[in-house]
Amino acid sequence: MRTRTARARGLRLVSAAAAVPLVLAACGSDDGGSAGGSDPVRISFLTHWGPEQVAMLEEAATEFESEHDGAIEVEIRAVPFANLLSTLRTQGSSANGPTMASVYDLWLAELVRDELAAAAPDDIANAVTDAWPDNLVAGVTKDDAVRGFPNEVNLYALNYNTALFDEAGIEAAPTTWAELSDAADAISALGDGRQGFGVISSWPAGTVHPWLSMVASNGGALLDAATPTLDTPEVAAVAELYAELVDSGATVPTMSGANANTTGPYLDNFVNEKTGMIIMANWWKGALQEAMGDRFDDVAVAPIPVGPDGTSASSVSYSWLTIVNGNARDEQQEAAWDFLTWLNGDTSGADGSSAMGDILMSMGILPSRTSDLEAHADQLAEPFLAAYVDLLPDATPFPSVLGGEEMTVALQQQLEQLLFGSVDPATAMDNAQSEVSSILSAKE
Amino acid sequence: MTTDVHTGTPAAPGRTRRPAPARPSERRWAAIFLSPAMLVIGIFMVVPILLTVWISLHEWSMFTSLGDMTWRGLDNYAGLWSDAGFRNSLRNTVLYVLLVVVLTIPLSVLLGLLLYFPTMRGKAAIRTALFATYVVPTVAIAMVWGALYAPTYGPFDQILGAVGITGIGWLSSPDTALISLVVFHVWQMIGYYTVLVVAGLTQIPGELYEAARVDGAGFWRQTTSLTLPMLGRTMTFVVLIAVVNAIQVFDPIYILTQGGPAGSTEVLSFTIQRTAFEYGLAGQASAMAFSLFLLMVAVGAALMVAMRRRR
Repeated sequence: MRTRTARARGLRLVSAAAAVPLVLAACGSDDGGSAGGSDPVRISFLTHWGPEQVAMLEEAATEFESEHDGAIEVEIRAVPFANLLSTLRTQGSSANGPTMASVYDLWLAELVRDELAAAAPDDIANAVTDAWPDNLVAGVTKDDAVRGFPNEVNLYALNYNTALFDEAGIEAAPTTWAELSDAADAISALGDGRQGFGVISSWPAGTVHPWLSMVASNGGALLDAATPTLDTPEVAAVAELYAELVDSGATVPTMSGANANTTGPYLDNFVNEKTGMIIMANWWKGALQEAMGDRFDDVAVAPIPVGPDGTSASSVSYSWLTIVNGNARDEQQEAAWDFLTWLNGDTSGADGSSAMGDILMSMGILPSRTSDLEAHADQLAEPFLAAYVDLLPDATPFPSVLGGEEMTVALQQQLEQLLFGSVDPATAMDNAQSEVSSILSAKE
Repeated sequence: MTTDVHTGTPAAPGRTRRPAPARPSERRWAAIFLSPAMLVIGIFMVVPILLTVWISLHEWSMFTSLGDMTWRGLDNYAGLWSDAGFRNSLRNTVLYVLLVVVLTIPLSVLLGLLLYFPTMRGKAAIRTALFATYVVPTVAIAMVWGALYAPTYGPFDQILGAVGITGIGWLSSPDTALISLVVFHVWQMIGYYTVLVVAGLTQIPGELYEAARVDGAGFWRQTTSLTLPMLGRTMTFVVLIAVVNAIQVFDPIYILTQGGPAGSTEVLSFTIQRTAFEYGLAGQASAMAFSLFLLMVAVGAALMVAMRRRR
């Protein structure tokens, strides 16, 4: 009996010993610092930026910490763009989740619905309203509350290689679809594996945004409020143009695939002068410059060619904003708003710019704060970015709706089916209309 | 009749020898030694599977806590078959698995035979080189293969272009993207399966080959009548592992094609990831994941039954 008791005790001991490390592993601290104690308040900033910009952000965070005598500690967490949303989903509601995050405006509707994007306090909301253009403030406002600081703005324009244009005898950038087709045919006729006009595939936004810019420049739109308008003649005309470009050989879809890093053949073929024209956003300036070196001087930017039903060039734009996690503790949220106010304020950077403005400009990305645009006026005047800045007032924001990601992928699938000849233009748009309607109605 | 396993008394012919019931002390020690493993399996396998099933019965974006999920019952499962994206992924997955198995099995047997039987120097080095592709992280070699497959300027296109073959899209064409990924998969995994085949060959007694030679069997007859039948159990395992690995393929698709172009490489694992993390439909994604789990269990069970019947 005594032996059995001893063995039972031993069994319990072994079980307990095995369980302790597991229990300890399962119970992480929330790492947020003490509430009202002497420990600093610890906050974290999740971003998808590269090492150079992360280093700049860390430098800014260090300066902010020293200004607050160590009462607030800011940790910078960086993940690749492709992992940003999944990181938010897996960590956003946990105690160790990021206190602040840089997010794509397409995600905002869902983040607000699930209370991950906290409403800005009134004074901060007023500061945002005063310092940013109205359309950008509207972009970060959901359920009548400002949800964060607008950061970068991206929009699309026609990028073309002037060396190829010269070789093909094309004198000016195309301003209409007819000119676009002619220029694309002329470049393709140069041979040596060249395509006139590149259309990106295997990347939802990379496929849909340029296409939608063409739609906008033909007087069409993706949505009318929450109802898709993909069955209109203005939209169908873009699908037909794509099919014609592929049929004529001016567009070779296999030359413009993308990969998880949003690079790949579409970038390489433009860099290697195999692609004459492509519709792309301003943010890829850094990648182009790095890849092309001195040949970057051959790259020029022009407005989106206007379609037969359009009246002027219009581009699709999207923006990023920094939100504060609604699940963070109150003192963390307060510290996060303080940090973001400072980071986006006009004293944290150089020569009247915000630190955020400096970081964005280092990537060739357009800042959005009015004073940042003024502080960086010289840099923004260089030809590549100036063309985008000029297009900004007429840009059409990509709709930020619940189900936006699904909607984009559904559109991408149909456009790619069209490009690769699996469906005709009318069928592609009918399918897209049906699928997008279904996705959006499921979210109501 | 009782069978004493401790004394080694042989069982009567035609009867299965039953092990003697364990003594209480043996049971306790067995529990002690097994409990850490069972605990780990429970925490890291059983609990996640049960949690996946539970989530699959709800609507959940993952931005909220588990307690805020909305009950959906079996709706997520019912909706799978009407989801064209899921059907496309399932079709692609089945095609991918079939192509992998059809290419892998004969190739691994052939390489295994070539590496096991001939007397030659450097066999170990070749085996190591073959196995090395399995050891290198998929992310690293996927990037290399992405460059090899690059249209127009990639090495494959350059070489084929030199002999007049142009316009193969590789990963950029819906017609060739999936098969290009299969070739990459087979290249990466073939060394592993070959090593398994070689291990199986070492289990075949040499006396059988001597007897076959005495009976006048040549190499071909020995291979078809002796080697391949005796490799049956090994091959069942190889097929099972090949199927499981192929069903689970994710990394190269995520890195190289993102399921494109035109959904031609969108397999179930990628769709599950996209549905959960990009669309925020964790309930639907869990229903897909559990369906995939059941599919894998069914395939595994079918292979095991086939093996037992064969035995």
